[in-house]
Amino acid sequence: MSASNISTEDTLTVAPFPSRRLNRWAEMIWQVAGGVNIRTKILGMVLALTIMLGLAVTWQVRVVMARVFVDELENRGVSVVSDLASRSIDPILLNDTYALYLLLRDTVLNHPDVLYAFILNPEGEVLAHTFGDAGFPIALLNSEIVNAAEYNLHGVIRHWVYKSNEGLVHEMIAPIMEGKAGVVRLGLTERRLQAIVDAVTGQMLLTTLAVAVAGIIAAMILTWLLTRPILDLVRTTQAVGRGDLQVRAPHWANDEIGTLANAFNQMVTELEASQRAIAEKEQARHMLLKKLITAQEEERKRIARELHDGVGQVLTSLMVGIRTLQRSDASLQAERIDDLCRIAGETLEQVRTLSRELRPSLLDDLGLAAALERYASEFTRVYPEVQIDLHCALPRRLPTPIETALYRIVQEAMTNAARHSRATVISVLVSQRNGSVQAIVEDNGVGFDVEAVRRRQSSVGIFGMNERAELLGGTLDIESGSDGTTVYVEIPL
Amino acid sequence: MKYPSRLIVFFNLLWLILVGLGGCSSGLTAKAALFIDLQERTPLPAAAPAEVAPLRMGVAAILSPQGTMASYSALTEYLARKLGRPVDLVQRRTYAEFNELVERGEVDLAFVCTNAYVVGAETFGMELLLAPEIDGKSVYYSQLIVPVESAAQSMADLRGEVFAFTDPMSFTGYIYPLYLLRQLGETPETFFQRTFYTYSHDRAIEAVANGLADGAAVDSLVLDYALQREPEMAARLRIIYTSEAFGIPPVVVPPSLPPRQKAQVRNLLLTMHEEREGQIVLRQLGIDRFIEIEESAYDDIRRIVQFMRSQQ
Repeated sequence: MSASNISTEDTLTVAPFPSRRLNRWAEMIWQVAGGVNIRTKILGMVLALTIMLGLAVTWQVRVVMARVFVDELENRGVSVVSDLASRSIDPILLNDTYALYLLLRDTVLNHPDVLYAFILNPEGEVLAHTFGDAGFPIALLNSEIVNAAEYNLHGVIRHWVYKSNEGLVHEMIAPIMEGKAGVVRLGLTERRLQAIVDAVTGQMLLTTLAVAVAGIIAAMILTWLLTRPILDLVRTTQAVGRGDLQVRAPHWANDEIGTLANAFNQMVTELEASQRAIAEKEQARHMLLKKLITAQEEERKRIARELHDGVGQVLTSLMVGIRTLQRSDASLQAERIDDLCRIAGETLEQVRTLSRELRPSLLDDLGLAAALERYASEFTRVYPEVQIDLHCALPRRLPTPIETALYRIVQEAMTNAARHSRATVISVLVSQRNGSVQAIVEDNGVGFDVEAVRRRQSSVGIFGMNERAELLGGTLDIESGSDGTTVYVEIPL
Repeated sequence: MKYPSRLIVFFNLLWLILVGLGGCSSGLTAKAALFIDLQERTPLPAAAPAEVAPLRMGVAAILSPQGTMASYSALTEYLARKLGRPVDLVQRRTYAEFNELVERGEVDLAFVCTNAYVVGAETFGMELLLAPEIDGKSVYYSQLIVPVESAAQSMADLRGEVFAFTDPMSFTGYIYPLYLLRQLGETPETFFQRTFYTYSHDRAIEAVANGLADGAAVDSLVLDYALQREPEMAARLRIIYTSEAFGIPPVVVPPSLPPRQKAQVRNLLLTMHEEREGQIVLRQLGIDRFIEIEESAYDDIRRIVQFMRSQQ
């Protein structure tokens, strides 16, 4: 079958056979089988199997029984007719017709399947028969019929079968004394054996019917057992779809459907957990935003205060000094100018520090390593009791967002260590390997309860570090104990 | 309404299959082509009266009916051919029944036992026609036989055994062994454990050969013939006594037979051995020819019969 032929059968949902006709049949069967529910499918399978088995066995038994019975009937006929042939010799030769009649009558009486028996002399005249006074079925003597019959031979005994109003009749014809004393003909009917075969067939069909009924009941129970957990699952799925994450599918049994229910329940549980995590994160983000805004205001307030208190005061005193210089003596002017220059220089230094704190220009100009070194030296100036041990091994500049994030995370970690942990040594290690950049900030301080802090969501600093790392697809871990705290950051490049 | 209609179709199919299986009652063997109406009965046609009256040839049950048929059928055919009319072979179970046939003239020609002839001649004038001749003699004997493994040497040794008689009217098979017992001063009732009748000599021989009887007295002609035909029988039998010679069983006619017929039959039998066809028939009967015989040939038998009668 060529590809073009197959393509014309695209409408078929099932096409497992190479023959178009078979596929049509498969399609038709599938349309019926696929169109009904599981209950009908199982019922159909059970009924089809039961009835097919029952009918096949019944048919087989019937055929075998019929064959055995017919063989047995023929064998019995052969032995009865042989017996008759030998026992009728003396009565025939002694012309004892009554003994001959008794012999035939007893044979018919003693063998339930024998319908009749009669004896012909060599001239073809009936010597004795068992048809009674009503007469003789003369057709049996019709030489045309007898000659036209097809005979099976059992030795010298001829056997043929004809239809009659008594059903099928097997007639056995045996010569008496090789035919010199005549022939005996014996008719056997299949009727009794037929009745037995029919009775057995009927019994088996009734049994098949009973088994089919039992099958229907079993199939109904089976489908109920099978479909109830499935329907429960469907209901649970719909409830979950509506947003109810508290529902769980009942676990009926440890079978495949039970496994499915377990997997489904697991999925709902995880869905619920992840929804909760999303909600928590959302809440944290919300708080961070609030704190960020507050922090921004605080920062502005501080800068405003610094400008006002520092730069503003100095500029004011500069202005006052310049006015005084205007009115002072020339001898004192030189000294005054020196003072003013010193004040201006201090002010400039204050402005520079403020500017650096807002955004270290080194980070943009020279990169993370230089910026961190500068920060470390300033940090030592602010916290002279803390020793900083900085190793920064970066072969080249990193993307700006990563440099900024790492700078801020390290800055936050160092500030936290100096402010809260009473550490005396802070070690910072920044390195790049396997397509990611890592930073480790380690101190020898008193440590803190990381989980408690995270749960309270009170520390904007820790949350901010986390957020910065996660924004860039990285991770941040904090390990803390009584001998110090370690912050690990890893950001993929 | 989709499923119910499908169900109905399904159950209809099922029903059809069940009925089809249960209903194939046409027979266990479906190969008969002919039909015969066994209910159509008509009275049997009466046997057409024979155009020519057949010659009825009777043979007494010296042999079993089958043995008689085997031996005498050739003779019936021969006579029928020669006479140009059918010949019926008539048999009866016992000598007594047979003698009645002869007395009533229901047979035209009869082969009888010697005692049957003696009694028949005495009571209704049974006529002696001819007698067979074998090896130039027309005599026979009563022979006492026992199974080959028997230790008996004479009648006296059979005391307390089972004895087979042939027929109450048989000379060699009944009267002569009784005569022997008489000489021993015994009767069958006192001497034997049990006796029974076989109603023919060949069956008495078989009874002894098969161990059914421990002894029997039989016609020497029948015994010779049986041993000749079945040599293996000789290995199972032993003859322990042979009587003196008696007149051979004769061919008789009823007194009522017309003289012309009697002469015709007599001539036919007397000349049989002269032609080849007749010789074959005679060989079948185990005899050489038929000869005329004197009434006196049976005097010895008459004497013993008279003696036995006088003893009762």
